[in-house]
Amino acid sequence: MKDVILRQVSKSYRGEQVLEKINLTIPSGKFFALLGPSGCGKTTILRLIGGFEQVDAGTIFIGDTNITDLPSNQRSVNTVFQNYALFPHLNVFENVAYSLRVRGVDEATIKTRVMQLLKTFGLERRVYASVTELSGGQQQRVALARAIINEPAVLLLDEPLAAMDYRLREKMLVELIELQDSLQTTFLYVTHDPFEALTVADQMAIMNADGEIEQVGTPKEIYEFPVSAFVAKFVGPANILRGKLVLVDETAQVIVPDLGMFPVDIVRQKEENFGWLINDRTVLLSIRPEKILITKRSLEGYAAKLEGIVHSIVYSGRSTEYIVRVGDSFTLRVFEQNEEHIAQEVIDYDDKVYLYWHQKNVVVLER
Amino acid sequence: MNLLKKNVLKKIGDEAMPFALGIPAFLWQILFFYIPLLLVFILSFPTFSWEYFTPFFASEYVSVIVRTVLIALSTAFFCLCIAYPIVYLIVFKGGRFKHMFFLFLLLPFLTTFLLHIYAWMFVLERGGVINVLLQSVGLISEPLHLLNSSFAVIFVMVYCYLPFMILPLYSSLEKFDKRFFEASYDLGATWWQTLWRVLIPLSFPGIRSGFFLVLVPAFGEFAIPELVGGDKKMFVGSIITHYTMGAQTASLGAAFTLLTAFILLIVVVAVYGITVKIFKQ
Repeated sequence: MKDVILRQVSKSYRGEQVLEKINLTIPSGKFFALLGPSGCGKTTILRLIGGFEQVDAGTIFIGDTNITDLPSNQRSVNTVFQNYALFPHLNVFENVAYSLRVRGVDEATIKTRVMQLLKTFGLERRVYASVTELSGGQQQRVALARAIINEPAVLLLDEPLAAMDYRLREKMLVELIELQDSLQTTFLYVTHDPFEALTVADQMAIMNADGEIEQVGTPKEIYEFPVSAFVAKFVGPANILRGKLVLVDETAQVIVPDLGMFPVDIVRQKEENFGWLINDRTVLLSIRPEKILITKRSLEGYAAKLEGIVHSIVYSGRSTEYIVRVGDSFTLRVFEQNEEHIAQEVIDYDDKVYLYWHQKNVVVLER
Repeated sequence: MNLLKKNVLKKIGDEAMPFALGIPAFLWQILFFYIPLLLVFILSFPTFSWEYFTPFFASEYVSVIVRTVLIALSTAFFCLCIAYPIVYLIVFKGGRFKHMFFLFLLLPFLTTFLLHIYAWMFVLERGGVINVLLQSVGLISEPLHLLNSSFAVIFVMVYCYLPFMILPLYSSLEKFDKRFFEASYDLGATWWQTLWRVLIPLSFPGIRSGFFLVLVPAFGEFAIPELVGGDKKMFVGSIITHYTMGAQTASLGAAFTLLTAFILLIVVVAVYGITVKIFKQ
């Protein structure tokens, strides 16, 4: 197994601490996304693994090998740079052949391997084209081909889709997932875009603006069960409510002043032994907008039932977003799928509506 | 109607503007370059014959031309060899002081050219600093014959022309994107491989313009060979000066000027062609 392991890694630039005692394991053969706001140090982690920066303290392993002091040209790591950094004086073929040439691989082998790879990337018609005349998608493929031709243990991708428009980005995301599937190389994908991270990752880590890793898990775990309001809000829209925890026997409820009392699940938190699960503590509740049912009908069997007035409606094709005022001081965001499998009721501005959710869809957060 | 007229006028104005702005430079070029060149041309053909050109095909002049070409090429080459590492260090290792280092590098060249030449004469002459020093430490017993040699000419020319190499190199390396270093190392290349395969090819436009900026004036140089070269007729520039200054021989000077200009043109085209072939750009 060739996991990438960061142990107690610290790094500062000009006296400013970027990373402090970071511990992170990137499992071998997985598509791992590192998500965080810009300036949070995620690119620094990538650059430390790539060998473009040196750690101040701590160690980095690939499998059992300590690579902390290895220069970047001796690491079994290759990088797809932001904006690709393709060599502008070399054509497509020579860019891809670069790492074989500097290793002194013979001409015949270079030719076969480069051509074979360019074919799998659908670039066989652009072999002798200058890289500057390629489209964004083609440049990305050349950068990928150049980085994987030497079969690295780890492929680093530094915001590779940042310069692309929405449509092309979705297409390239699918290509990346398929590529990782067929190669089974460890991919470390650094991005500030939660959509990209959730789409590509088998496993992901999310960092906050202070350079700390908030949570590591599968995209689903992170989206459905965030550990903090920061994570909840960063990976997608969330309604965050502040309240007091009430523990009675095995059940837990949160009292949100002026709004009500809501039963919550604390099985996960208990399993992981969270010390903050104590009676009377101030906690946060997170409910995703799509987990809230909006209707004019009065229903039973939900953990929460709130009455509100529709404040605004944003129709965006496949879904509609409602902003609903509840009481005097609360506004909740609600998404409704425009599936129309069954006749949907018409909800308009200033209509009186009920909001419902299930207990399992609410997450209790320490902060 | 009025608006249409206005727009048409504006359009004509927009298109004419670049030409209008180019007129002063164009006039300057005609007045001080093409007309004088034409005059030189006319001067070299007082009769409709090659009579003023033929004397220069004698072996003594041919060897002067060959020597001048070789010295100019060596000057440009040594300037490159000295300037490239220095500019590399300043741009990539100078950090935030690089502009200061760059200023210090060019500071000596703010004093006059002639002063540099005389200063080097004192350094290189028989009783000069170098000989005195080497003798005092016992490395040599007889003073070295440094002045009045091709060595002295190339040495002083390299010194004087260095800024013409440094400036284009600096602007070309300054523009170099450091991520290409990272990409190259990332792909397994060593420092040397990165230098030869990435940095030099990508800074090649700067190398080439620096090379020509030194080569062309070095070819026409006459003060330095005159002062430190000893032999008065060893350089193309000295011969041109000699003939052009003489009242009876102006036509010879003009003919030699045209001839050597043509040879220089061939040298420049040849160097250009060779480098294009090597670096495919």
